[in-house]
Amino acid sequence: MSREQLTRIGLALISFGVFLGLWQAVVRLGGYPAFILPPPQAVAQRLVSLVASGTLWRHVQVTLKEILAGLALGAVTATVLGYLLAHSPLAERLLAPYIVASQSVPTVAIAPLLVIWFGTGILSKILVCALIVFFPILVNTVVGVRSVSQDLRDLMRTLQADRWQMIWMLEVPAALPTLLAGLKVGATLAVIGAVVGEFVASDRGVGYLLKQGQQLYDTPLVFVGIATLVVMAQALYGIVALAERGLLRWQKH
Amino acid sequence: MDSTARKSEPLLRVEGLSLSYQRGDGRLSVLEQIEFEVEEREFLALVGPSGCGKTTLLKLIAGLEQPTAGQIHLAGNPVKRPSRSVGFVFQEPTLMDWRTVEANVTLPLELNGGNRKRAREEAQTLLDLVRLTGFEDAYPAQLSGGMAQRVALARALVHDPQLLLLDEPFGALDALTRERMGRELLRIWQARRKTVVMVTHSVPEAVLLADRVLVLGPRPASIIAEVPVDLPRPRTAEMRETPACSQVARRVRDALEQVDLH
Ligand SMILES: Nc1ncnc2c1ncn2[C@@H]1O[C@H](COP(=O)(O)OP(=O)(O)O)[C@@H](O)[C@H]1O
Ligand SMILES: [Mg+2]
Repeated sequence: MSREQLTRIGLALISFGVFLGLWQAVVRLGGYPAFILPPPQAVAQRLVSLVASGTLWRHVQVTLKEILAGLALGAVTATVLGYLLAHSPLAERLLAPYIVASQSVPTVAIAPLLVIWFGTGILSKILVCALIVFFPILVNTVVGVRSVSQDLRDLMRTLQADRWQMIWMLEVPAALPTLLAGLKVGATLAVIGAVVGEFVASDRGVGYLLKQGQQLYDTPLVFVGIATLVVMAQALYGIVALAERGLLRWQKH
Repeated sequence: MDSTARKSEPLLRVEGLSLSYQRGDGRLSVLEQIEFEVEEREFLALVGPSGCGKTTLLKLIAGLEQPTAGQIHLAGNPVKRPSRSVGFVFQEPTLMDWRTVEANVTLPLELNGGNRKRAREEAQTLLDLVRLTGFEDAYPAQLSGGMAQRVALARALVHDPQLLLLDEPFGALDALTRERMGRELLRIWQARRKTVVMVTHSVPEAVLLADRVLVLGPRPASIIAEVPVDLPRPRTAEMRETPACSQVARRVRDALEQVDLH
């Protein structure tokens, strides 16, 4: 490990320690009861018991499944549709008004409808996720594909590249930085989508744990749920960022 | 008919070529009645005011655009669509940023599904020719403008096209690099002897390299002068100082000045 990395980890640990200290101080000085603001140890204990019993992992698995399936579904449809929109001015003129208008409808408001149509199971959550990641990925695909240089297109044409070569050897690699930026945004949004879906109706998942905690005034449980979501969102973002680093190595030199 | 009396078929024949674009409610005429021929192994330079339609003309020859009227024949065949018998070098270094220098040069062969090992050998030969040995694994972002254009030139030659089209290949470079690149191109052309049509803004460059210079008028462009360059080959950069060379350059400049007066 390099010196720089060690310094970074050290700083992160220090700031986390300060954060816990402040939290503890607020609880002490304010004299809040645990169901309003539990002290860090209470949250830690709750976390340990949830991990030990396997409860947390069970719920994380469900939410993770929803997130990954929703992200995949949303990303694939958005990329395909974005590609078509980027290439067809007619399709863009026909569809763009609807797509833009659909963005002013908050996804949270559609979630109940999806539950009515697709049931309280995993499917409705996957669809909420897909819906919420759809737009940013669509926009990035259109921008990415449109940014491919006309000269490179002409070059490929003079070399008689076929349609697939045009897509895989030119458009995908050229648009990849923009596509991955969209996927990074989508990855964090997908976490929100899954929780929103679970809030509306569910009997499992991290969103369900949060709701349980609220109803039972089990505030440490709520804190554990929030922390779990933060870690999940960070991990997803990190995976995409890592893939980005590997795939776009040619960018930084 | 006596076949020996007939001139051999030129590699490129452009006849009555016109192109106009739809613009608003009217039409924008870009090229009008362009007519010329290029013999095999000839180096033809095209000069003309900017925006007159030089790039458009090259794209028509490459089959990237369709003319409104007229015909183009390449090696006796009508040009209807893009074909691998031309190599194109654009004004901007048009490289794929995500491919190494070597992978950029092998692209034309890869698209054709050729043997990988052979492709790499071909690329090596060409990178040696454009003096970029040792840069095989570099990415375009690491190259200077002149180096990038040399990669583009290597790529345009790698599939051994019949005709090389150069669209102001050194236009984006600084004056000194540009002069050096002109000398490099002269050396490369003398080694490979391709048929070349090159658009350029630089009269000295045109005269040093070409066998013949065509001067295009303002849009809609037509050919307003044809200046043969009767300088001996092999040529060297020093020839630029000779009276014969200055004389040719003067004729090209005179034709271009007439254009400005219009
Ligand atoms: N696809 C197009 N549609 C409309 N006008 C075009 C198109 N391509 C080029 N033109 C016009 O044709 C003219 C000639 O362009 P170009 O061939 O690039 O000139 P040059 O290369 O000589 O500078 C310009 O006025 C340009 O605006
Ligand atoms: Mg041009």
